[in-house]
Amino acid sequence: MPDSIHEHALFSAFDALIFQKTAGQFECLGGLPSWFPPSGVLQGPEGTPEKLLEVSFFLQHFLRDVGPWWESNKVGQMKSGLWSETAIFGEDVILEATAVYQGGQRYLVLQRFGSDMLPVQPLLQKAREEQLSHRASIHLHERTEARLGTQLAKSEQERDDLLAVLDGLRLGTIMTDANGVVTFLSGKAQELLQVDSAKVLGCTLPAGLGWKGEYTNRIEEMGKVTEAGRQPISVVVERKKRPSVSLEVDVHDDPRGSRKKILFLKDVTEVEELRRQLTGPTQFHRLIGKSPAMRAVYERIRDIATVDVSVLIQGETGTGKELVARALHDFSLRKDRPFVAVNCAGLTESLLGSQLFGHKRGAFTGAVQDHEGFFEAADGGTLFLDEIGDMPLPIQTTLLRVLQEGEIIRLGESRPRVVNVRVLAATNQDLPSLVESGRFRSDLLYRIRVARLQLPPLRERREDIPLLSLAFLEKARVIIGKIGVRDIAQTAMQCFLRYSWPGNVRELKGALDYALIHCRSNSILPDDLPPEFRELSPSIGSLSGPGVRDQRQEILEALKHVNGRRAQAAKLLNMSRSTFYRRMRELSIPMDDQSS
Amino acid sequence: MVQKKICMLGGFAVGKTSLVRRFVSGIFSEKYLTTVGVKIDQRTVTAKGKELLLVLWDLYGDDDYQKVRASYLQGSSGYILVIDGTRKETIDVAIRLHEFTTATLGPIPFVLLLNKYDLEDEWAVDLPMVSDLGQKACLVSTVSAKTGEGVEAAFAALAEAMTSS
Repeated sequence: MPDSIHEHALFSAFDALIFQKTAGQFECLGGLPSWFPPSGVLQGPEGTPEKLLEVSFFLQHFLRDVGPWWESNKVGQMKSGLWSETAIFGEDVILEATAVYQGGQRYLVLQRFGSDMLPVQPLLQKAREEQLSHRASIHLHERTEARLGTQLAKSEQERDDLLAVLDGLRLGTIMTDANGVVTFLSGKAQELLQVDSAKVLGCTLPAGLGWKGEYTNRIEEMGKVTEAGRQPISVVVERKKRPSVSLEVDVHDDPRGSRKKILFLKDVTEVEELRRQLTGPTQFHRLIGKSPAMRAVYERIRDIATVDVSVLIQGETGTGKELVARALHDFSLRKDRPFVAVNCAGLTESLLGSQLFGHKRGAFTGAVQDHEGFFEAADGGTLFLDEIGDMPLPIQTTLLRVLQEGEIIRLGESRPRVVNVRVLAATNQDLPSLVESGRFRSDLLYRIRVARLQLPPLRERREDIPLLSLAFLEKARVIIGKIGVRDIAQTAMQCFLRYSWPGNVRELKGALDYALIHCRSNSILPDDLPPEFRELSPSIGSLSGPGVRDQRQEILEALKHVNGRRAQAAKLLNMSRSTFYRRMRELSIPMDDQSS
Repeated sequence: MVQKKICMLGGFAVGKTSLVRRFVSGIFSEKYLTTVGVKIDQRTVTAKGKELLLVLWDLYGDDDYQKVRASYLQGSSGYILVIDGTRKETIDVAIRLHEFTTATLGPIPFVLLLNKYDLEDEWAVDLPMVSDLGQKACLVSTVSAKTGEGVEAAFAALAEAMTSS
């Protein structure tokens, strides 16, 4: 077999286009490879292998690079690298060119990126796709992380803002989980409770805060009712080296789960203090006043109320002796037993004796049935004997025995009855003087004044006048039906403050009622006041002058108006019956004269 | 007609082939098909009143699997350096390719394109990040092979620059 035939067969076996360059021309050696002729621009008679070298930009570029190397006559080869010829072949054909210098000959070999190399591209594709996918996952992760970070920062900012608002509103916040364990404690809550969050978080409220069981029990109970039915819980927190703090605790359900709770702590210490100031020193029981004199009275009442002894209450008329007696009773251990008040003035000896000690049917004319006296009525409780200075001496004697023996005997009976009564007595008279003049038993005096309480006249506590006036006005405007009258003009108040108030608080109340009846505006004016205030001519201690004449006439007119019924006349004039009787005596109005 | 060889350079999957297809054929495909070796396309443009045949050498993406051969770059009049705006790491590849090209060919005109500008939500590259590289380019631009935004202008700018140089 000739050599040329062997070479042709050999070159054809490579399935490549092999050119030999001779005299500046390329000649195709061997047979055409399976991928040639293509269906693109090389189709037809012009589609020779050599034509490919003319139309391929890549090959032209490669041959320009190869030219100088070939001329160097160095044995070896030079590869072009892969390239794709789509337009020329009409499909995506990947080729690689190899320039060879061997045996003094120059060859150009064109190979298709064929079946033997096919797995490379899918592998590369897969590797890159996986890299992209991995990168996309990382990117997604980073973006998610960034978004969550932003959301977290925003949430933290919102939380901080909210806490700042809550702290600004002086609201402390505690959050507990479904087991009652503290999961959050705001800065304000730590300040209010004087605790460190690190020591409280993870603990229950009783363990973490050291609160009394009653507080935590109430919080727990409040958490069980519906939110609409919940009431704030008052908690007083004792703090080390700092004043205690009064809190109102509101229990709310966590919006994310009703078993979790949010507690809002509202500092009401200041409010409580103001309330204490308002309800404490300015009022005690039904007594009104914040003057030092009245505060001393309140203290005295507290001191002696629970000591089960007789008390003598002294004070001018209208100073509120009966109110003090009621306060003493209500603050005593007898508060759940009867309180019976008796006015000793204006009653005859027999009537008073009957009223106090009771009588048996037939004991005297008109005693048609057995009658229980006030002592028996007050058994276990308190008997208040007002105007005790006016008590007839025989009754004083009986009273003394009752107080000593703890027994009463009804009129017409001989059988003693055991009574347990605390006696409170009151008078506006100077009892020692009465003792000296023989009108009051000294032994009874000593017996009833085991404890003493002196009430100040209104003129000695003028600072209470505005408080008393407004308190009376508030009640009277409703009773009288003048709701629109809401205050007292400063000028009218000045009249009150300058007046001497011989009738004390009772007179003040009467004056206000008078003014309210006459008032035609929203505010009580000086013209609305009784005449004595406009004149400002107090007549204390004096039983002469126009004031006295007016008062006598006033009492007479009142008696006439109610057909001589003294109790009703006293009521009409806003006086106690005892004061009414005393005034009648002082003004020389006969008890049986009811019209002149 | 004057021919100008332009190489498309950048990391893999930054959109070099898509930019060429958009520029030459006006089409875009979402499917990613990795380029093996070199793919050559051409388009005639007018720059400074002269017609130019731009021969676009779309080189495979540079990565750990395939490194750009210096022989491919020979004869280039300019190149387009492409960064994927959604992948910051493609900046480093662009910088490395720029240094390689400059070392191979010396300083020639190039434009720096931040591709995939249509993916605003995933955008991860700010211009300050590429300011050093951008100062050497005749144009720095955000482009989108998908929408075509900025593509024509980028090739036109490079054609202008190559004509001037």
